[in-house]
Amino acid sequence: MQSLALIAFLLGVVTYSVSGTLYFVDLARREGASNSAAWAPRVLSAGTVFHLIHVVTASRLAGFSPTESLPFALSLSALMTNVIYLLMRERAGIGAMGVVVAPLALMFLLAEQFVGQLEAAPELPRLLLGVHVTANLLGLGLFLLAGVAGAFYLVQERRLKRKLSFAGLRLPALDRLDLAEHRLLLAGFPLQTLGVVTGAVFIAMLGDTSATALLRALLAFGTWAVVGGVLVTRATLGWRGRRSAYGTLAGVTCVLLVIAIYVARAGVSL
Amino acid sequence: MIVVLGVSHKTAPIEVRETAAMAPALVTEVLSELVSDEAVGEALIVSTCNRVEVVAAGRSGDPAKLDQVSAAVKRALLKRVPAIAPHLYIHQGQHAIQHLFRVVASLDSLVLGEPQILGQMKQAYELARHEGTVGAHLNRVVAHALRAAKRVRSETSIGAGQVSVPTVAIDLARQIFGDLHGHPAALLGSGQMGEHVAKLLVAAGASLQVVGRNQARVSELASQMGGDARTFDQLPKVLTEADVVVTTTSAPGFVVTRDVVDSVRRQRRGRSLFFIDLAVPRDVEPAVGDLDNTFLYNVDDLSKIVAESLSTRKREAEAAEAIVMNEAVRYERAIHAEQVTPTILALRKQFGQSLESELDKTLRTRLKHLSHEERDALHIMLDSALNKLLHPATKHLRRLATDDEAQADVDAHIAALTDLFSLDVTSEPRASESPAARQKRLSLSADAPPPEMAPDNEKQVS
Repeated sequence: MQSLALIAFLLGVVTYSVSGTLYFVDLARREGASNSAAWAPRVLSAGTVFHLIHVVTASRLAGFSPTESLPFALSLSALMTNVIYLLMRERAGIGAMGVVVAPLALMFLLAEQFVGQLEAAPELPRLLLGVHVTANLLGLGLFLLAGVAGAFYLVQERRLKRKLSFAGLRLPALDRLDLAEHRLLLAGFPLQTLGVVTGAVFIAMLGDTSATALLRALLAFGTWAVVGGVLVTRATLGWRGRRSAYGTLAGVTCVLLVIAIYVARAGVSL
Repeated sequence: MIVVLGVSHKTAPIEVRETAAMAPALVTEVLSELVSDEAVGEALIVSTCNRVEVVAAGRSGDPAKLDQVSAAVKRALLKRVPAIAPHLYIHQGQHAIQHLFRVVASLDSLVLGEPQILGQMKQAYELARHEGTVGAHLNRVVAHALRAAKRVRSETSIGAGQVSVPTVAIDLARQIFGDLHGHPAALLGSGQMGEHVAKLLVAAGASLQVVGRNQARVSELASQMGGDARTFDQLPKVLTEADVVVTTTSAPGFVVTRDVVDSVRRQRRGRSLFFIDLAVPRDVEPAVGDLDNTFLYNVDDLSKIVAESLSTRKREAEAAEAIVMNEAVRYERAIHAEQVTPTILALRKQFGQSLESELDKTLRTRLKHLSHEERDALHIMLDSALNKLLHPATKHLRRLATDDEAQADVDAHIAALTDLFSLDVTSEPRASESPAARQKRLSLSADAPPPEMAPDNEKQVS
């Protein structure tokens, strides 16, 4: 099983790298359909399968459930991002976002090797912990993609507003990016609400009042408030486009900071 | 080898090209007339708004007879339209191949890199194939020209960007909205370019409202384009509904001000709004472009993008020319290599027959006691010895044939071998062939078009 985990890991690294390169080549092309456009998502799908095989086999070897181990949980969130992207890319017209999704997945897969373990507190109920981690993982996957869509939106909007050169990158249409970002936030928000509520329950149960725990909780609530704000202002005031993209990026930054705190706590061994 | 004769936008003004242009029925008629000539073996005609060209090959494939082919084609063209005489160009042999490759790669087009010529060439080929006027030579040269053109398009940015103001405007709208299907659009005014953009928007699936002061004109325009007519009083409502607004009025001041657009933003609920201001003086206040989710391009902005695309294409043309020349040389080498094939085959046949005849004699007399297996072994040995014997000569001939500098040597070698060994280098007996037989032969040889001729969905515009 060890060699299977290693082979799947190596194949995952190779396929993600190839897929990222193909996406880049496709993004930089100037006209017409290219072979790279057809092959990039296929290679990314293959990478996702290798990644999944690796997470399952490696976590079994390590004796952890993937949702109870920080490195595997992070790896799983990248898997979620991939799956969500692959499912919606064609219909939402956001294929070009693969140029960020593939390297992101590669980064998380590699990070899994260096991030230390965090032991779950034994007094926490396993079922509730599972719900908390799963909701957060899915939410993270959705928010990461929404963040990528938001960043793409800002780049594309800047090019159109400033009438910058058309040569070079071929990005998805503005409205498609805006819609994809909105849908991803809409799907991720209930999951994140669940994650925040269960997280608050855990803090109360553990009575953890350390500075990092408070900062983590604050950032989690901050993300929730920002994303909620983006959704509410869009529905009531029609704040779309640039404002929505900035809000989404602020929310995603908070999520990434929460992860950074977890990673810092667990330690990194290079 | 082939000849290319015709007129194009480079040699003839539009008045001349108009008279030379041929509808498919006329193309059929001229093709039939051409191949009934003693000198012409194959022909196809490309007739577009920018060129009328005849690509033809002789019956014998003998390069020395290309003048006769050219003369026959010229006669046929001038008989129909004598006015094209001073504008007619004639390319033969190597130059004709290079010209054809450049034409198909869109390097000779009025709009450099335009994609329509590929489809037009395929259409011309299909028509000629249907008429049975293309055979081995044209099948091969056209297939290779299309391959070269595809290489040019995939390896260079010769077709990058849009090169007209209306298509740039539509491209921008697509970058904002993606699919334009179902998006409401509005046309303010009735300028010619505005109408063109509006037509493209409707063709892309957008719904249209036409706004103007002259109610009768607006109604007429709206009905022509399948849209709804609106008056200028309804402008705020139109701006609330429309996603793309094309303005082309002759008003001296701004028709669409920042205040008007700002006032409808709340009802638009943040939906993107794209203004295409084609009017001079401008119709849309420049400050409109500063509003969130509002994009404004005027005629200068669009022209700048057109100029950028054209300049990219010009830069890429150099690389494209190199590819075309490289492909033309490859094609010529392949053709040259083939001219020695009949000699090699005849030489092999001659030697083989002599050796086999001697062996058979010996097998009937002194070696008649040999078994079947032993006889077969002797035949195989003879065949193998023949291959080894002729290998250096064959290799040398093929090498000479692909060397551009050594064409005279090739001819001398072929002549020497033919004389020395009394070779019977038979060529296709086309000169004595009846038109009906030729029609049948060409139809048969063209039955299987090369893969490059597979039909595609390219739009035919001329």
